[in-house]
Amino acid sequence: MKFLMLKLEPIIWQLFGGGMMLGAFLYPAYLLVIGFTAPLGITPIEGLSYERVLGLASSIPGSVLIAATISLPLWAAAHHVRHIFIDFGGLERDGFVGLVCYGSAAVGSALAIIAVLRLHF
Amino acid sequence: MMTRRARVDSMKPSTPGPTRTAPPRMPDNFPGRGNYLGYITFGLCGFVLYAVGFLMLRTIWALGSGEREWDRLIEGFQNPVYILFHVFCVISLTWFALRFFGLFPKTQPPNIGRFKRPPDIFFLVALNGGFLAVSLLVIAVLSGVLL
Amino acid sequence: MNEINKKTVKVTRFDPDQDEEPRTEAYEIPVQDDWKVLDALNYIKDEVDPSLSHRWSCRMAVCGSCGMQVNGEPKLTCKTALSDYEDTVEVAPLANFPIIRDLVVELEGFMEKMKTAKPWIMSAKERAAEEGPTSQSPEELAAFKQFSMCINCMLCYSACPVVGNEPDFLGPAALALGHRYNQDTRDEGSSERNEIFRDEGGVFACSYANECSQVCPKNVDPSAAIQQAKLLNVIDWAKSFVVPRGGK
Repeated sequence: MKFLMLKLEPIIWQLFGGGMMLGAFLYPAYLLVIGFTAPLGITPIEGLSYERVLGLASSIPGSVLIAATISLPLWAAAHHVRHIFIDFGGLERDGFVGLVCYGSAAVGSALAIIAVLRLHF
Repeated sequence: MMTRRARVDSMKPSTPGPTRTAPPRMPDNFPGRGNYLGYITFGLCGFVLYAVGFLMLRTIWALGSGEREWDRLIEGFQNPVYILFHVFCVISLTWFALRFFGLFPKTQPPNIGRFKRPPDIFFLVALNGGFLAVSLLVIAVLSGVLL
Repeated sequence: MNEINKKTVKVTRFDPDQDEEPRTEAYEIPVQDDWKVLDALNYIKDEVDPSLSHRWSCRMAVCGSCGMQVNGEPKLTCKTALSDYEDTVEVAPLANFPIIRDLVVELEGFMEKMKTAKPWIMSAKERAAEEGPTSQSPEELAAFKQFSMCINCMLCYSACPVVGNEPDFLGPAALALGHRYNQDTRDEGSSERNEIFRDEGGVFACSYANECSQVCPKNVDPSAAIQQAKLLNVIDWAKSFVVPRGGK
């Protein structure tokens, strides 16, 4: 397991870097609207109407962007959390923390692709 | 001042020296001291990224489950607990983004093959300016002004 | 005239023959306002307690021997003014290192890590004298010069949270120096080094705490070197699938 993780490190690092970029650029504004201004009526809630969002999300560029915006930051999250565990000692060396972190990111990524495909069928 | 122990084999030679040594210690005041605190907080934002990623997954899942499910989810976001949580995420991830942009320029090598690295100021303007532009764009799209 | 006043210097003491654990001893000594922390330690050794052990040599921040924790921060004690501190200064051996005695730490592990990164010019074949010297433009030199200024003082190892938790981690100085040779146009060993860098304890073990660069007395910026090495390593790794090994 540890060996596999070492071999995959260059890939994981790229997913992590991409996730940092996407998360940093897109999440704050996305969260601001969907979780703050729209629920409080500061921006029109109609912007989040079912037909409109479905139309945007089920377009090809929309679908790709959404799948990437969910999955890549999960890899960034996994990498950060794994390193937090390393910084606080010990738990990492058997590879268990890495397995849980990257495993959850992999499952989340797969689910993100399924979630996006569900919009099309 | 000395803090907790580091791993006992940290910086240990492959063959032990002639005398007994005292075990290594972690850096003093880790993680409370200045720079460490920012670094650890940045790392802890990983948990926020997890939460937001899976929350967005749930949102898109609801969208695929039909109009009723979607409307129920969006209505649920009006719950004050959700609003507080979202505000917390916005603040922490904005800080995360700004720290990331600040640390980014020096990670770029002076040249990759034939490509020359632009000066630091280029990265800082492009990243921070791009962040502002993309944020406004996302806000415009999600509030129905654009597209 | 130098004014004479008193300061308390708390020093970590550890005698492997007698002490179970390192302990702290406080010395109240007269100090001059132009003294460095190293001057205070030398005063203690010369005038108060000759059994105190600490390393130092050049007194001018180039030999890299006198690195210690001063009030919890890794510092070259010959470069750190005593007047920057209040009435009490605490001096301890470098963090993350096994302690041999008092302020002296075990260096051998560091030496091994340095060697692992192969910080020397590797070339496929020896260059004949008739070929003349290899040339390098100022621009090519600028790509790595900063990373070659390391004096091996190990302050970066003492500041790094990964070093204390990942014993295999090659650490800031070794990786920065390896990267320095990867960037050197005279060197041909980058794919060999990159494979070491990709392995356990290589560049990807670094989590970019950036503390190594904060404490470096020579502005080497090891964290920049390591992050750059990560990117170049990924490119090298991707290339290894396209171009067979040995192809440039």
